[in-house]
Amino acid sequence: MKLCRLKIILYCLSLFSYIAGAAEHILDAVQSDATSADISQQGFDWTPYQKAWHDDVQLHGFLSQGLFNSSGNNVFGNSKNSVSAGLTEVGLNISYQALNNLSFALQGLYRRAGESTGSAGEVSLDFGFVDLTLIDLSAIRIGVRGGRIKNSWGLYNETRDVSFTHPTIFLPLIYFERSRSMMLAMDGGQVYADYNSAIGDFSFKFNYGFMNDNKELLLSITANPNVGGHLDPEKSFMTQLRYDIDGGKYIFALSYADINMGYVAYGAFDPYAGMQTHIYPIVVSAQYNGESFNLTGEYSYQWNEFSNFSNRADARPISEHWYIQAGYRLLDNVEFTVRYDASVQDISDRKGELFQQLTGLPSHLAYTKDWVVGLRWDITPAWMVRTEYHWIHGASMVSALDNPDAMNIAKDWNIYALQVSFRF
Amino acid sequence: MRRRCGSRLLLCIMLLLLPMQILFAVEVITHAGSATQLQGNTNLRSIFSMRTRYWPNGEKIRVFVLPDDNEIHKTFVKQKLDMFPHQLRRTWDRMTYTGTGQPPITVHSIAEMLEKIKTTKNSIGYIDRRVEDENIHFFDAQ
Repeated sequence: MKLCRLKIILYCLSLFSYIAGAAEHILDAVQSDATSADISQQGFDWTPYQKAWHDDVQLHGFLSQGLFNSSGNNVFGNSKNSVSAGLTEVGLNISYQALNNLSFALQGLYRRAGESTGSAGEVSLDFGFVDLTLIDLSAIRIGVRGGRIKNSWGLYNETRDVSFTHPTIFLPLIYFERSRSMMLAMDGGQVYADYNSAIGDFSFKFNYGFMNDNKELLLSITANPNVGGHLDPEKSFMTQLRYDIDGGKYIFALSYADINMGYVAYGAFDPYAGMQTHIYPIVVSAQYNGESFNLTGEYSYQWNEFSNFSNRADARPISEHWYIQAGYRLLDNVEFTVRYDASVQDISDRKGELFQQLTGLPSHLAYTKDWVVGLRWDITPAWMVRTEYHWIHGASMVSALDNPDAMNIAKDWNIYALQVSFRF
Repeated sequence: MRRRCGSRLLLCIMLLLLPMQILFAVEVITHAGSATQLQGNTNLRSIFSMRTRYWPNGEKIRVFVLPDDNEIHKTFVKQKLDMFPHQLRRTWDRMTYTGTGQPPITVHSIAEMLEKIKTTKNSIGYIDRRVEDENIHFFDAQ
């Protein structure tokens, strides 16, 4: 019986290799001018199909692992006075340029990030869409994409899980870890337009559709760890206008989003039944990229509306986040970065006193100020290692899932982090 | 006197070391079949940033590059594109990891670059020397 199965497998394998070999021969044949001429003489014109499809398929990926040690509060698992290996990111993508104006792209992501994903981690579809270019002239390109599309928001959001593409292990506070899954991608459509001119390159994107559910955001809005329901994404949009001068030496971007979510109650007596959230942030970004020196600043002003509570009044806090960051390349592949980062949950309550009165929770959960220094070494184009240190005052950025005891969250604390990354 | 000699020697050594990067000239090359597609206003920066994706005849441009840490690559990016390698890398990474474009194909030696340009239709790349080959066209020979 076993032998029979083995024979079948061997037979299938040989058949497969024969077909693969034959296909290769056909491909070789259609690629060479001489043979294609022979084929066309036989009555069928292969010329339009001469394009070798495998040249139009690309496979890329990345992998990174972080190590964290902190005082006061936990980050990505149990890092307080201990070492946590709680941040793992693995991505694999495939893209296929089927026709000059039609392409497909897909990326799978495995992510393990402390308690928010659990120790087993989570696998998700990071993006997956069809891209149809409607106009493609040498200076102008206009098109549409449909499926799950990354959100261009600020400078780093769309590649936030690819460690190579941002300067420090922790992203600036504008890219709040707990709103990560909400901001990450849009299920819907995108209209895009690129215009390359003598004074620089303009890029416009408009995403419309549904954002993702977010448990951490709900915990933060309700300040209640026992909240039973979940947020249900409603129609939202996100848009960005970006301007690159001199091949990206100077980059300016303006991003705006309008995100709606409704609360889906758990059971008949859920006190949050009917709650609506409406978040609409704007971000202004500017960056200078010199040969050795770079300077980045981003400012975000975020309107929040949490309404229709049955047990308390509507809340309309305005959050503000900004940072300024400087980098210097000591060598082509060694870069030093320093950043000052500040964030408040409600600009009318910068010290969190009102927050403390309303919730009974520590006032420092309402703001964060963070000084960061980091060193990055690109050992080869494929391997990178970096390390950084944070001096933090305030705790609005801490994860309620990693730090369930809100009353004992520290006000002044530090993080030491190390990360190794690989890409292809 | 001795001290002055020493500082002169140091100056000489520095002068010798400084221009090492620009001792070789980088040449942009294409597959011979694409020679007619090159025009006076061909924008190399736009091609290597993958913003211009097609030759004027509509064929997809096949872009080949050397790794980021290769000295020829660094010189090419600075001399021919008037950019820095990290700017180009940022552009490529953004398209690669958002699915919105495909980055150039990386080759690992000059020999491999020559081979790819010779055998790939619609290709473009660069090398650090002049070679005689009927399948390779030198961009600046227009």
